[in-house]
Amino acid sequence: MGKKNKSVLVVGAGIAGIQASLDLAEMGLNVHLVEESPTIGGRMPQLDKTFPTNDCSMCILSPKMSECARHPNITVHTMANIDSIEGDPGNFNCKIIEKAKFVDPDKCVACGLCEEKCPVKIDDEFDMKLRKRKAISRYFLQSIPSEYTIDQEHCLYLTKGVCKICEKVCEANAIKYDDVDKEIELNVGAVIMATGIDAFNPIGFGHFGYKRFKNVVTSLEYERMLSASGPLGGHVVRASDKKEPKSLAFIQCVGSRDDSIDKNYCSSACCMFAIKQSIISKEHIKDMDISIFNMDIRAFGKDFDKYYEKSKSTYDVQYIRSKVSDISELSNGNLRLKYVLENGEIRFKEFEMVVLSIGLEARKNMQDFAAKMDIKLNKYNFCRSDGFAPLQTSREGIYVCGGMNGPKDIPESVVAASGAVANSVKFLEVERQDIKEEGTNEKNVIGDRPRIGTFVCHCGINIAGVVDVKNVAEYAANLPNVEHSEDVMYACSQDFLDLIKDRIKEHDLNRVVVAACTPRTHEPLFRETIAEVGLNPYLFEMANIRDQCSWAHMNEPEKATEKSKDLVEMGVAKARDLSPLKRLPIDIGPGALVIGAGLSGMTAALAVAAAGQKVYIVEQEKKSGGNLRKIFFQPDGKDPQKLLQDTIKKIEEHENIHLFTNTVIDKIIGYVGNFNTSIQNLETKECTNISHGAVIVATGANEHKTKEYQYGKSTRVVTQVEFEQMLLNKDFPHGKFKNVVMIQCVGSREEGRMYCSRVCCTKAIKNGLELKKIRQNVNIFICHRDIRTYGFREQYYTDLRDKGSVFIRYSPENKPKVELLDSTDPDSKLNVSAFDPILDREIIIDADLVVLSTAIDALEENDILAKMLKVPLNADGMFLEAHVKLRPVDFATEGVFVCGLAHGPKDIDESIAQSKAAASRALTFLSKKAILAEGTITEVDISKCSGCAYCVDVCAYSALEIDPEKEVVVVNDALCKGCGACVASCRCGALDLRGFSNRQLHSVFDALELT
Amino acid sequence: MVKELQEKVKQLFKDKKVDMVIGWRKGSLPLSSSPLFINKIEDVDNLIFDETCQNNLAVYITKDKRRLVKDGKKIGVIVKGCDARSLVLYCVEKQIKRENLVIIGVPCKGVFDKRKVMEQVDNKEVLGFSVNGKEVTIKGQEFEKTLDKFEIASDSCQSCVYPDAPVFDEFITEPRKEKPDIDEFAKVDKFEELSLDDRWKKITDEYSKCVRCYACRNVCPSCYCNVCFVDQNDPQWIGKSPEITDTIIFHLIRNLHVAGRCVECGACARACPEGIDLLLLNKKITKEIKERFGYTAGINIDEKPAMQSYCENEKQDFIMG
Amino acid sequence: MSDWQPKILAILCNWCSYAGADLAGVSRLQYPPNIRVVRIPCSGRVDPLFIMKAFQTGYDGVLVSGCHPGDCHYLSGNYFARRKFAVIKPLMEFIGLEPDRLQFSWVSAGEGERFSEVVTKVTKDIQKIGPITKMVKGV
Repeated sequence: MGKKNKSVLVVGAGIAGIQASLDLAEMGLNVHLVEESPTIGGRMPQLDKTFPTNDCSMCILSPKMSECARHPNITVHTMANIDSIEGDPGNFNCKIIEKAKFVDPDKCVACGLCEEKCPVKIDDEFDMKLRKRKAISRYFLQSIPSEYTIDQEHCLYLTKGVCKICEKVCEANAIKYDDVDKEIELNVGAVIMATGIDAFNPIGFGHFGYKRFKNVVTSLEYERMLSASGPLGGHVVRASDKKEPKSLAFIQCVGSRDDSIDKNYCSSACCMFAIKQSIISKEHIKDMDISIFNMDIRAFGKDFDKYYEKSKSTYDVQYIRSKVSDISELSNGNLRLKYVLENGEIRFKEFEMVVLSIGLEARKNMQDFAAKMDIKLNKYNFCRSDGFAPLQTSREGIYVCGGMNGPKDIPESVVAASGAVANSVKFLEVERQDIKEEGTNEKNVIGDRPRIGTFVCHCGINIAGVVDVKNVAEYAANLPNVEHSEDVMYACSQDFLDLIKDRIKEHDLNRVVVAACTPRTHEPLFRETIAEVGLNPYLFEMANIRDQCSWAHMNEPEKATEKSKDLVEMGVAKARDLSPLKRLPIDIGPGALVIGAGLSGMTAALAVAAAGQKVYIVEQEKKSGGNLRKIFFQPDGKDPQKLLQDTIKKIEEHENIHLFTNTVIDKIIGYVGNFNTSIQNLETKECTNISHGAVIVATGANEHKTKEYQYGKSTRVVTQVEFEQMLLNKDFPHGKFKNVVMIQCVGSREEGRMYCSRVCCTKAIKNGLELKKIRQNVNIFICHRDIRTYGFREQYYTDLRDKGSVFIRYSPENKPKVELLDSTDPDSKLNVSAFDPILDREIIIDADLVVLSTAIDALEENDILAKMLKVPLNADGMFLEAHVKLRPVDFATEGVFVCGLAHGPKDIDESIAQSKAAASRALTFLSKKAILAEGTITEVDISKCSGCAYCVDVCAYSALEIDPEKEVVVVNDALCKGCGACVASCRCGALDLRGFSNRQLHSVFDALELT
Repeated sequence: MVKELQEKVKQLFKDKKVDMVIGWRKGSLPLSSSPLFINKIEDVDNLIFDETCQNNLAVYITKDKRRLVKDGKKIGVIVKGCDARSLVLYCVEKQIKRENLVIIGVPCKGVFDKRKVMEQVDNKEVLGFSVNGKEVTIKGQEFEKTLDKFEIASDSCQSCVYPDAPVFDEFITEPRKEKPDIDEFAKVDKFEELSLDDRWKKITDEYSKCVRCYACRNVCPSCYCNVCFVDQNDPQWIGKSPEITDTIIFHLIRNLHVAGRCVECGACARACPEGIDLLLLNKKITKEIKERFGYTAGINIDEKPAMQSYCENEKQDFIMG
Repeated sequence: MSDWQPKILAILCNWCSYAGADLAGVSRLQYPPNIRVVRIPCSGRVDPLFIMKAFQTGYDGVLVSGCHPGDCHYLSGNYFARRKFAVIKPLMEFIGLEPDRLQFSWVSAGEGERFSEVVTKVTKDIQKIGPITKMVKGV
């Protein structure tokens, strides 16, 4: 192996780029995150809600954004592009061009005054041009970095040499008209590409009248309309008459699954996107009539089908199987849709508004970009990757994630990002890092009388323009324990930060209160500042008198001043009771335990071992390989058995991997970094104890055992897995072999198993294509409910259809019927009858073989393992991740991860990506010798604890446990996240939350004299 | 019935199924009973069960759990419905292991509220009583008075729908198949009909009687914190003076601390020297929890307590729309 | 009385409602200046004592706001909080406290406008009732 490097480049700062950067940074690597736009965040900030939980998109993203921006190992380059990448893996030389921003980011305090006064209005891309922005602006309200930038193409001064208003109004002197592009050279070991995806532009497409008809919008425009922070404030009205639409049509597959425009692929996310938008729309406008025109509903992800069903049962969304052929606009602005039903019948329906569910496509500049980067593209201009190496580009050392190599939803992008990180590790120096001891030079303030310094910020005129800042500072000076109080122009500017340090020394301050903007963005900065002069960072409190006062009460200066005084007084009250907090180090032991030696487990093990860690794989079967042992073909022609043999060989040869087959887990105790597991060999009964720092659950799943469709009664009814074996052996029923009927969704998507098993459509089609290769003349009939060949799998669906196979859609109320011609003879031929909606009548097929696409079942023993690991299962018995969107392989319980079928049905490429992701997430812990616990965590006074364990129940992180000896609760500092739910559940007062303690909050509630 | 009870307890001792049994004995004062701790068969003959057995014997399990329950010893407890619910609560709250308990149910027909009886007999000295169906005859030195049993029953019994132990190992006679046909929340509903200000007035009038003796807390089977919140002083949430808001907050917080845990035994109200109607607020909470979450405290050991669980889609009419 | 302005304690969770309040400010949405905000990590941290103490101190109203169900940064804190609110609110009304004095809401980080609407509504509601007389110490 060549050179290894401490630095890594991530291109694109959408959710995938952010996730990759955070994982790498946590492994101790120096990350350069390059982003073309002025902010990190990518597409997610544009979304209102996310499916299938209706989580607020911005709520879940913004903590990740700020974590990324604040991380000491991450350098963010916004408005920057990659110019070139030269050299070899481990030693790439990259040239980056950072565009001129014309605003000095060190001076800009994002007060927004410039934007208010700027005379130039331009279309706001973030709001899909539904709103205007100014030539000096911030990309969106929660942009990170928050500093403003000037649009070079539109700024009057930069284009015509006149105006300069922003410079005049900027009190921070941040405007820099002479700013120039910068060239930056970096040496990195690997590159992770996450440049994202574009949305299809439907101008002139079909007969949908986009941009001609006012009330036809794209799904992205509609998303902004639904968003509370969007141009309509979340109150959807149509453009023509500003009235709430009472009927809405979604047209699916606009720019997807359409060979005529070279897009013979499925965009994967639009069905769910439309379902989400209909549910949210119905929540906004209860009596809205919503129809979704679709070819298939592809709700193939985890818990997606439940969401789809809910949209029908609870929200009464109508699904119409049909292609819309034409839209015409009526004089009242309504739209008349012409559409063709499956049976050929032409229908018309009027809607007040139409949403085009636009597809996802490769970024516009992909060809140039690929040429520059020397990576190959597929025929749709997405970055090319391989089914068995889904995160690798054609150039070694450069990895891909997110939408760049194919349509993906958010969790898949996050998985790919972490997975790509695992791939890149082999060219990077990942070493077990020490943590920096915190607070070694800290001043001891315990027992000292509080000496509080208060600093009231003008924020230019942002605060001072409304609030009488001097008056507030004087008021604060007279509060008990306040030793020093002053007002300052910009609290967050470097000169002030120096001043605060001087004042601490000068007045021997031991608590600091800053009245300024919001602690959510600025508290870390001030904490760092006071720590620099030896004050514990937690001896700091903020009063938010800008975002929550001066900006919200601009026309009531006196009341705003009064409120500011109160807020400062409350802040001082809390400050008085603050105590120094320590983030305690928690030792992290090396090594991972992987449970399950299927493809996922083995892939995860290899990825963890690649970073120099020991891995123990425990497999209850006698042989490793899991379900992959039963897969012999892939639609792209790749050989799964070769993959299996290669993987097994790598595992066997790897010196750091210990595989225990025929072995079960007896007991797991401990927590992140400190697990201790005893395993037992089923044959020898020999027990082994293993110490490890992390756990990866890769226990897989089972094929569902059905009793439907004469399975078990007829030798001619087999499952897809059995059929695949027949294909391998070319061992078909004797005699005439003419008609094969496949039945989809056997056990899936119905009562008791209300989920899509995801792989069966592609598997059926794959096996169909394979059969056609061997027996060209066999007729294949596929009875299905929806064909869910998402992404590039669509191609295989088209292929099999082109080969003359017949697809018959059935409804769950009217399933196909399979009968033995001679019910006494298990070898007898079969009659399959089904209703064909295209022919609009029942058909009977004389079948020589019936192949059932049976569901994927969760393992029954998941339950036992889940209890041992203190992690949850979902209603279907699959392991439930910490967050379905942004933490797809993590559990709330730290140090435990999940991948593969144990998490939910998925294909080989997806299992590989997810296993690598789980490995990468595990490495974020294992690459440290210790981690720091949160400072603000729960503490116990055992003398008050009655051991009732109520707190144990409310903790989402399994951070609390009852000590069986002492019968009192113990908090695991490593797992506590500091939410305080346990504290509020404790009637005995035995628990308290550091930093938000009962005493501190009591003082705050009691601070003001109100009576 | 008492004979049967005594025989059963003796049998339990003989079969070594219990190491100790807690029951009631005749009290030294008329209309009262005392707890009886039975360690050997001979003591069983003192065992009684009648309308004077107000005490919730479950309290002896938690408050002294470290003394009584040692080394897997088994304790039998003779219980009315409410007492049994306390035991269930203790199992849920890990105060005792179910396998260390032998729950012996007795058919409760309500217990006397001594205060009500004394009122009826003008506080004359009572020497004895006899029960005849729905009537009770109270005997004194120079009088005999027959009273309606329901009238002199404890408030908690008047609205009780779980007179028999919902969970038990032994039951003396048979537990009743049907729940009593009683509107358990009648008083709550009636109070809700009052105007806002009338309610406030009634509550303040009632609670201004409170002398903060904490008898209600001390006797409550669900109150077993090592240090009650009202006695904690860092921070001191509640003033110790008899200031009315402090008093009300004390009671409200106590109500909330037993939310989803109150077994409605009425011990608090019977213990209150000022006769404050302490059940009303508890009942209100019990009603909300029952209606909203379908939960009743002390019925099922395996059910997560109401405040320790949630449903994602439950009704949230109290959240601004 | 005419120039009386209610003072309202707003207890906001850090991740959603406090962020929503910030967004309202960043968007320059105007709402009445009557609230005094206390930031806590999660609505699950809310102890009924907080609410009692606020009334006793003399706040004319209390608003508690957290993440929408399903959005909790700590996964389930708001669900447990909701169970508490489900009991506290009826209990306070039961003893005769004016219902509008104690209000609960869900405001997400993206709902600046909703935050300003919530505060406007709560302030108006409490203005209508007048100064607090029940629960407050010394009255």
